[in-house]
Amino acid sequence: MPSKEELKIQKYAQDFVNQLSVVLRTSQIHDLNNVAVKSNIEKMMSHVSALLGMENIITLEVRGEFFYFNEYRMRYPLEYLLNFDFLMREFKKRELGSFIIVKNVTLQDMQTFIRAFIESPYATNPYERIEEKMKGIENIKIDRLKSIVEEDFLDVRKMVKKSYFNAVSFTKGVIHKIKSGEKVSLKKAKRVVESMVDHILEQEQLLLGMTAIKEYDEYTYHHSVNVSILCVALGQRLGLNRKMLTELGMVSLFHDIGKMEIPPEVLNKPASFTEEEWKVVRKHPSIGSRALLKLKKLDELSIRSAIVAFEHHMHYDFTGYPKITDPKKLDFYSRIVSLADQYDAMTSARVYSRVPMTPDKALSLMMERAGTQLDPLLFKFFINMIGVFPVGTLVMLNTKELGLVYEGNQIFVSRPRVMLITDNVGNRIEGRVIDLTEKDDKDQYSKSIVKTLDPNKYNINLAEYFL
Amino acid sequence: MTISDDLILAKDIIQVFLKGKKILRMYPQNNPIYMKTIEDSFNKFDDFFTYQDTLRYVFRQNEILYDTEQVYENPEKEDNLALFFFKDGLREITFRKGLTANEMEDFLRIISMDFEREVLEDDIVTLFWEKDFENIQYVVDETFLADEEDYESQAMSELEEKHKDPDNLLQAYEDAFKQEDAKEIAVVQIVETELQILFKELEDDAQDKIEKLNNILFEILISVERKNEYADVATSLIASVEYAIGKGNLDAVRKLLVRLKRLTDRQDIDGDLLFQAKRVIYFAGSEKVITALGEMLDSGQEIDEKLFDEYIDHLEKNAILPFIKVLGELKTIHARKIVIDALVTLGPKDILTLTKGLNDPRWYVTRNIIYILRNIGDKRAVDHLLKTVQHTDIRVKKEVIRTLGELGGSNVLVALRNCLDDKEIQVRIAALKAFSNISSDTVKKMLMDRIMKKEFKDKSFEEKKEYFTTLANWKDSEVLEFLVKVMKKRSFFGRSKLFENKAVAAHCLGLIGSKKVLPLLNKHKNSNSKLLREYAYTAIKRIDSAQ
Repeated sequence: MPSKEELKIQKYAQDFVNQLSVVLRTSQIHDLNNVAVKSNIEKMMSHVSALLGMENIITLEVRGEFFYFNEYRMRYPLEYLLNFDFLMREFKKRELGSFIIVKNVTLQDMQTFIRAFIESPYATNPYERIEEKMKGIENIKIDRLKSIVEEDFLDVRKMVKKSYFNAVSFTKGVIHKIKSGEKVSLKKAKRVVESMVDHILEQEQLLLGMTAIKEYDEYTYHHSVNVSILCVALGQRLGLNRKMLTELGMVSLFHDIGKMEIPPEVLNKPASFTEEEWKVVRKHPSIGSRALLKLKKLDELSIRSAIVAFEHHMHYDFTGYPKITDPKKLDFYSRIVSLADQYDAMTSARVYSRVPMTPDKALSLMMERAGTQLDPLLFKFFINMIGVFPVGTLVMLNTKELGLVYEGNQIFVSRPRVMLITDNVGNRIEGRVIDLTEKDDKDQYSKSIVKTLDPNKYNINLAEYFL
Repeated sequence: MTISDDLILAKDIIQVFLKGKKILRMYPQNNPIYMKTIEDSFNKFDDFFTYQDTLRYVFRQNEILYDTEQVYENPEKEDNLALFFFKDGLREITFRKGLTANEMEDFLRIISMDFEREVLEDDIVTLFWEKDFENIQYVVDETFLADEEDYESQAMSELEEKHKDPDNLLQAYEDAFKQEDAKEIAVVQIVETELQILFKELEDDAQDKIEKLNNILFEILISVERKNEYADVATSLIASVEYAIGKGNLDAVRKLLVRLKRLTDRQDIDGDLLFQAKRVIYFAGSEKVITALGEMLDSGQEIDEKLFDEYIDHLEKNAILPFIKVLGELKTIHARKIVIDALVTLGPKDILTLTKGLNDPRWYVTRNIIYILRNIGDKRAVDHLLKTVQHTDIRVKKEVIRTLGELGGSNVLVALRNCLDDKEIQVRIAALKAFSNISSDTVKKMLMDRIMKKEFKDKSFEEKKEYFTTLANWKDSEVLEFLVKVMKKRSFFGRSKLFENKAVAAHCLGLIGSKKVLPLLNKHKNSNSKLLREYAYTAIKRIDSAQ
């Protein structure tokens, strides 16, 4: 647990980054001599002084989708979300990776940096432009954005994969145990979810990538884990703390537990359900809710789990099931789980007409449902998280190469990292990952997505590329 | 620093863990032994970090290693520190320079917990995780989290099996040209107002969820199709009631009771459902719940009394005995008052059960029950109250006499008359006051007879006055004549006692307020007796002002 002093530094660091964002935003509109800009800069300088008094040096670094302050990954409060996002976007636009301030920094130094920063995006090589303008400034250093080295991720990818399969195996065990009346270890469940939360906090895109593979035999268990991952990732975007993320992860992991009582021949039926079968399926929220209440002594977690299990198909406008006599606003977590559940189900090959949708089509359909079946505000956060082209989407680039979306980009949502699988005439190639934010000599994006396809239609084994 | 010094300190810190585990479990945080242990332990870490930046231990089943050297070994299962860490999957722990005293204390507090106890729902790794230590890192083996060995390989093999046939990349390539251009789904930026909505959502989300759960369980209860499921849902509702009361959320339970009552009032309700719904209602008035309510009331926690009253309104008669029990245990007057009011509400549902409280060994409970019975005003309680007239505590006696007076009845007269001969004046006065409520001629006559008796003059002035005050309830000519007679009585012996009788008779005349007696009173206004003068004067004034 951080000490009081460390918490103070974290708070100052958040305030500093927020204020830096405010300064840069206002400086794009007004001259640096404008009263509002001046006042914002002064405020930022007071944060800088306070931090330098405690830390001697301020290093703000962009790594992946996160800011790191003096080597620690920053967790930002929800009220700063917009400014953090803005700053991340602006840093990336300029390929600015690090911003280092040392003691004795003056107001003039800072003004020079701000000027260089706001003038740079129109330049052909924005980073070089800032660097040039900053010549002679000793107290502020900058560094170029480092591209992600794939090899560094291999071990992490292995760990994430292991956590994912542990979670699926555990979920399978839980369902079997409940069915046979055995005691379920919630200690283990917490550990499983904590591991997922850690991975999402550090490597969100890797774990989201794991959810893109939908062809496992044991759909129900994978679905539960996928929904849990999607929920925790969304929860993170919503600013939930670690404890809340664990709670959300737990309740979403068990949201479909009531399906254990649906006969397998119904659950795994290859055709559409009959009315009678639907009747059985519609009971699973109620069954799940009751089962969860029996698992342990009533506490906040079991209450929440039971609520979510009951409400996850009710829909934002109560047009879903079960129908109740006195509907009240759906629980916050139920609305999150509904989104994740629909998305994962639609993009899987088991339900919803038994034909999986491509992720982009699923998102289009969900967009139509936002405001009726789905919470419109949470959907906004969800789509920002998943990206326009979610991981696993088969795409054709303007260069006529085929690729699979490998990792989303939180800032430039239509420019993910893509693993190329064919060359420009359709020949299979060894998967190479490219970043669609990369630009050519003329400062134009080198490659862009022009078409999307369903990888299942062409028997493409995503696991071969992703795992 | 030599290697041996290094080892010595690493071993010392293992001893810190062992000692800390015991001390922190035994003593509260403000105890000097606790504080000294924390200080000494931190000093050990400090010593270590003077020379090294990290302290890493490796855990095996029966041993702990520092670097490659064994610093702890225990082949037994009991009190095995290595096994303690190892069994939850911890394989390594590293303390970094910069470790704060708070972090170290938190760490020691976690390892000193009694993990064998059922109440702990988290293992050591979860507790470490929740603390989010900055300077303590650990490595965990998560293999045991999977329920099947090598599930990952199995799943992968299944996928490979599904993709036995080669993919058709060329076809995909050709089809891509025929596809529509990719749809750009507009990613709308979140704006400030939406963030504000989200803040509000998060704020609302922090509120108690039990009411929502109750609504859900109620919906399930009325929708389940198999009868044996009613019991299942009712059990969950009972747990929910217990939880809500534990959290002080009376309103959630009240709302549930309202819905359950409405359900049980239905004519067409299934018998099993009715039984289970009543089970929940009865639980809301059970000893467990009422005891918890009592604790809540005594804790000083602010309680919406209107809400509390509404809650009581929905309870059944089974809540009466638990409330009586709680009444005897409450420490604050405010809490007792609330429970007394609750029993006044509940009592009419089962007067007989309520009267059981009259036998409580604690005098104050008995007195409170009498008070409650008086407020309810049900004459069925009289027979039970009569038995309490002989209570050994005078405070109880006084309360029951008053109550009997208010409730009335033929048996009451006899009991009250007997009380007039009680050895305690307070009891006798209480009985006289009680007679004020009984306006029968028998009582009037009895009082006048007693006043006329020779020994009456020897009673204390206070008691005499009470007799005449009571008599003033009968404002008829018979009483007036009687009083005039008393006023006119003459005697050469015991004149001071006689004046006392006349004074209280004057007092009585004043209370009756008849103008006719003014000449008589005026006559006594100049009496030799100061007492009589004063009482006559006051009575005249009372009558004059009443005109």
